[in-house]
Amino acid sequence: MFETLFPILFLVGVAAFIAVAMAGASIVFGRRTSEGAKYEPYESGIKPKGDTRGRFPVKFYLIAVLFILFDIEVVFLYPWAVIYQKLGMFGFVEILVFIVILLIGYFYILGKGALKWE
Amino acid sequence: MPDYNLRLIIPEIFLFLWALFIIAFDLGTKRKNPKLIGYLTMGGIAATAVLLYLYHGGISFNNMFKSDPLALFFKVIFLGSAFMAVGSSFDIIAQKIKNHRGEFFGLVLFSTVGMMFLASAGELISLYIGLELTTIPLFILAAYYKDDRISVEAGLKYLVIGAFSSAILLYGLSLLYGLSGTTDIVMMKINLALLYLNTNGIGWALLMAIVMVLAGIGFKLALVPFHMWAPDVYQGAPTPITALLSVGSKAAGVVAFMRIFIDGLYGFADAVMFPLDWGNIVAVLAAAAMILGNISALRQKNIKRMLAYSSIAQIGYVMVGMVAVSELGVGSVGYYMFIYLFANMGAFAVATIFNDNTGSDSIASYAGLSKSSPMISAFMAIFLLSLAGIPPLAGFAAKFFVFAAGIQAGYTWLVILALLTAVVSLYYYANVIKMMYFAPDNPTIKLNTPLSANIVLIIGVAGLIIFGVYPEPILNFALDTARVFGF
Amino acid sequence: MIPIGHFLILSAMLFAVGAAGVIISRNLLIMLMSIELMLNAANLAIIAFSRMNNIVDGHVFVFIVFAVAAAEAAVGLAIIIMIFRNRESINADNFSLLKR
Repeated sequence: MFETLFPILFLVGVAAFIAVAMAGASIVFGRRTSEGAKYEPYESGIKPKGDTRGRFPVKFYLIAVLFILFDIEVVFLYPWAVIYQKLGMFGFVEILVFIVILLIGYFYILGKGALKWE
Repeated sequence: MPDYNLRLIIPEIFLFLWALFIIAFDLGTKRKNPKLIGYLTMGGIAATAVLLYLYHGGISFNNMFKSDPLALFFKVIFLGSAFMAVGSSFDIIAQKIKNHRGEFFGLVLFSTVGMMFLASAGELISLYIGLELTTIPLFILAAYYKDDRISVEAGLKYLVIGAFSSAILLYGLSLLYGLSGTTDIVMMKINLALLYLNTNGIGWALLMAIVMVLAGIGFKLALVPFHMWAPDVYQGAPTPITALLSVGSKAAGVVAFMRIFIDGLYGFADAVMFPLDWGNIVAVLAAAAMILGNISALRQKNIKRMLAYSSIAQIGYVMVGMVAVSELGVGSVGYYMFIYLFANMGAFAVATIFNDNTGSDSIASYAGLSKSSPMISAFMAIFLLSLAGIPPLAGFAAKFFVFAAGIQAGYTWLVILALLTAVVSLYYYANVIKMMYFAPDNPTIKLNTPLSANIVLIIGVAGLIIFGVYPEPILNFALDTARVFGF
Repeated sequence: MIPIGHFLILSAMLFAVGAAGVIISRNLLIMLMSIELMLNAANLAIIAFSRMNNIVDGHVFVFIVFAVAAAEAAVGLAIIIMIFRNRESINADNFSLLKR
């Protein structure tokens, strides 16, 4: 038991040591300044515009939801792909029906104009 | 080779394709023709009923899909409730919904397809899919008036409660699956009984599974103590959708209950084998539903809220037949749901028509309705009296058989309680009738009804009178469904 | 091999966290996420049982639950956006028009 777990424990120990050592070293040896620029979201570069809690167009959300829906349907292709040889023609036709139904959904959202940006 | 018989799911496939067609047609014709789409939807439902008559009887997809008498009986109820809900929603579509008309009908049909798959589920996976396919379109439909704050709030409440309950149900199903090692309900019955007899200390795990599944389905049925969403959602949702929720979705819950409890957990229904049997748990919940539903309905001022509490009480009566776990029990529950279809859909159809014409849902505004619209008032009186269980109407026969099943199974205390609460219920049903007929003359607008709503009302009244006087054919059909469970 | 009990305890804990989240939290988005957590707790239990009993039905079940959870999340987010447009709030305590 211990022999199998030892490498993992060792790794955890090393990781913890490095993390503590680096954080500790920067606290001990570091020099602290408190200037206004330190508290900006980006210390250098573009000046942030407005609040992070600002609204953004609902179109982003719509695209995201459509992506989730079509993305998750792919999960059904995996089991089919695993035993695709065994299922043969039957499985192929079934998955084709599935894809066609998804395609109808795709044409529906096209028809509704959900993917138009303007 | 997988075992599949596509002939058996032709009605479901047809209804599904028809829903797609309705949506596409609406999109293609630029939503010019709300009435035509409505009639096409009604026609599609009627055609599905014909296909159901042509293609039924048999088991397919390795027990995942059972086209047995029970499924057939409940599918008729689902199609009837969808037909009547669509029929009574024409005015709403024309007046309140501007740009998603086809989707309204399409979603009703998708939900109906879900109910039909649920009724045929012989197996936990297909049961879960059916239940979700029933509920998810109803979330959208409940929130269908996008700009109406009350409707959106109803949709939100239904969504949170519905998703929460389905998660609980799923956990219960996962426990049942783990204990029995199978998702097939018939195999589950055997495996669970063997497991319980051979293993010590498994009772608690089983009890937990039973309670979780009961809670999950109890939410769909609005059984006390899982009922608190029902009045709010019923009040806020568009009225035809409320009707669909209270009949179609509830009947779907009833059939899911039968499949899991009466079939899968058959051995755990009485105290002889299993000390914490589900029969007594459900009996107590039924008693609570009857008391709470009827007493809360007494002080409601809004007709939809009143009908919501009344439907909570009605599901209590249904459960009296369910806990009997006998041939008469299953048959009487089926018969009750069949009659409940006509009475409740009819009452909600009248509420829809009234709201379309006057914009009001309050019971007080029904005053003097009998003077301006005698026909509709008479219909409403028939629907309400049938819900109360007054003799010549079918509601009486339905209650009678359910109570007989309860007495036969030894739940006398429950039946006495049911009779007492039925007397209480008469008060609030009669209150509406009193408003319509005997209230001081308060001129109401004459109600205009579209043709489709008239069809719905006539179907409802005809069903109640015909099956009240002559219950044999439906009762025999309902008793026949009990054969599925081997009674 | 890790014994089945460990998985079941983890799944029960996840389920309890999810259920508590739905009941305690007043933020609709957190409620929705908690429901997803409950569904995934059930998924974990199903997969564990599936391995215990050496049958693959459970895997099919889990795939189906994934798809259902995605559909529920999509509809749920849509309804939450709708109510936010109407009320400018996603705090569940503000939605009590229907309590009368």
